[in-house]
Amino acid sequence: MDIAVGTTLDRYVILAYFAIVMGFGAYFGKYSKTTSDYFFGGRRFAWWLISISIVATGVGSHSFVKYSTKAYQYGLSSTMTYMNDWFFIPLFMFGWLPIIYYTRVRSIPEYFERRFNRTARYLATMMTLLYMIGYIAIQFLTLATALYRIYGIPLMMTVILIAIATTVYMHFGGQTSVIFTDLFQGLILIFAGLLLFFLGIQYLGDHTAFSGLQAFWMNLSPQEKLPLAHFNHPPDFNFVGIFWQDGIAGSVGFLFLNQGLIMRFMAAKSVNEGRKAAAFNVLLILPISAIVVSNAGWIGRAISNALPGVLPDGLAANDVFVAVANVVSAPGVFGFIIAALCAALMSTADTLVNASSAIIINDIYRPLAKKAKSEKRELELARWTSIAVKVIAVILVPFFNSFDSIYEAHGWFHSTFTPPLVVGVFLGIFWKRFTAPAVIATFVVGAFLMILGQFIPELISPFSHGIELRPGRGYTYIGALYNLVVCASVGVIVALFTKPDSEEKLYGLTIFDVHKLKSIFKGSPVNEEKGKNALVKWKVKDTDNNVIRFSKSDMDLMKALPGDLVYVQDSRWWLGGLKSAHSTFGEPHNEDGVAYINSMHLDHGQFVEAYQLKAEKEM
Amino acid sequence: MEFANTWLPFIYLYGVGGIAFVLGMLLILRTKALRVSFERDKKWLWVLIYGFLFYAGLHATFILLAIGSY
Repeated sequence: MDIAVGTTLDRYVILAYFAIVMGFGAYFGKYSKTTSDYFFGGRRFAWWLISISIVATGVGSHSFVKYSTKAYQYGLSSTMTYMNDWFFIPLFMFGWLPIIYYTRVRSIPEYFERRFNRTARYLATMMTLLYMIGYIAIQFLTLATALYRIYGIPLMMTVILIAIATTVYMHFGGQTSVIFTDLFQGLILIFAGLLLFFLGIQYLGDHTAFSGLQAFWMNLSPQEKLPLAHFNHPPDFNFVGIFWQDGIAGSVGFLFLNQGLIMRFMAAKSVNEGRKAAAFNVLLILPISAIVVSNAGWIGRAISNALPGVLPDGLAANDVFVAVANVVSAPGVFGFIIAALCAALMSTADTLVNASSAIIINDIYRPLAKKAKSEKRELELARWTSIAVKVIAVILVPFFNSFDSIYEAHGWFHSTFTPPLVVGVFLGIFWKRFTAPAVIATFVVGAFLMILGQFIPELISPFSHGIELRPGRGYTYIGALYNLVVCASVGVIVALFTKPDSEEKLYGLTIFDVHKLKSIFKGSPVNEEKGKNALVKWKVKDTDNNVIRFSKSDMDLMKALPGDLVYVQDSRWWLGGLKSAHSTFGEPHNEDGVAYINSMHLDHGQFVEAYQLKAEKEM
Repeated sequence: MEFANTWLPFIYLYGVGGIAFVLGMLLILRTKALRVSFERDKKWLWVLIYGFLFYAGLHATFILLAIGSY
């Protein structure tokens, strides 16, 4: 089908959107002073900021295309993958999140070295980088596929232009820019997705006998209203396969191994803020995101059921989103919706690029560099690395363009790269007996058995739950169960035949030590006494020590003692911690309502004299 | 509508997923990663249980609505 390509107004709207995002992101570059700021945003942000910026990371441009397609074909069951993440949330919130936050692990591969050894780190680095750079390439490809039709620029040229646009703000801003542009883009894409839903319902109301939500609901068949797919049929969309591929491997992969997501949580001002962000995201934002990415397909299905001929019979699966948006929206609005598709791409790509860059610096450059380099040099290198990552991703685009569909390319990624890492990290955190040789065997032998399963699908048949084996195409989703089983089996068997690590080596790296992590992080006993926050003015008093000093009565209010950890932020809540700093309580002084900070705190927090600081004792 | 289309996926999702959830809860409680003696952790315990029931309730409601419109 030849999709309509929008109007001149639509093209201007899309260009204006790109310009706004680039300017917005570049502005926040001034908050990146060190590699810690560049990669992790300085561990300072409020939960709501983290939560909304995660939306934009989780919803990629491929999500709109992929879920609209399934929604058009099968109805509400397209939401399955957005609604099955809660099962591992307890382990994430109270196991993995405190471990990565308090041990100051800067990347997933670094955890593998601390928990196992350097070989495990390098293997994990290789697999993680391949996964992420490929993922970025898919994002570029998806958006370019939509945009090149609108602007008439060749596909590869469109890919390069998109890569340059994301580079402008990322190059200077790093994680802080990523978080703030993602906040902006997250709101845009939720709004645009819900707007499309509203316009679609209005369109159905205007052209059918029903009105409002009824017009949508009554024009779907009972089968299309079911929230879960048929148990094991058809082979390309069944419940049990998708449960193992996405609900188990995908959820663990996303929560425990997505470096971009992990870095976002590490930008939270505390572990508790990270937990709030995770809970809010999964309980509220994910169901909304499911509607945002799927509704074009549902509306398309309802239109096809009620008004045959409006959408062409031969509508290609990947064209559903653009076709429906074009039918239900006016010129300019269509451009805005496509701009939301851009938002989805740019926000996912920037997170992954920043994460890949962090891995290259932390897990390749630093371990191999003979001498420690200055922060300035590393920051510069990080910026250039993010450009290199994009160049490689652009080079990979033609390879992914050779797959039959974006859905297939994406599925290939998950099934190929996730299971060994999932098993490695999961057993590493939750089973002390799991050893370095076991994790290496999981990566190497497990990967070999997985590849064997790709070539001999009969090996997967015992796990198939009755799903039909398609000749020449193998099993699409249930292969994840086979992959998990072979990787876990190899890991467990080797672990049982190798000598376990000492308690000393594992200290702080498994769930069994989570309750001790706060004191490890602080370096002294934790002060859990509950105090109140203090509102104070500030003065710069340069001292040699990295401490902030408060009056005796302010410290009493906070129930704080010298040596406890303190977090100060601009008192304007809506800044979400952008202007903030972490430090240690110094000895008290006698000037009530005033905090003595040093120039380093001021430089990091960019505090404004007219505004008070809100101070809180951390631990 | 056949069972494999309606309640079987639901039972499998909250049966197998439920095992993962319960094992996770037991692990964080037994290792004291979540300490119910702390007021804040106690609230989190209820949030975690609520989340599980919220999704199970949401899926069950939509299945009933779809069956009802058959």
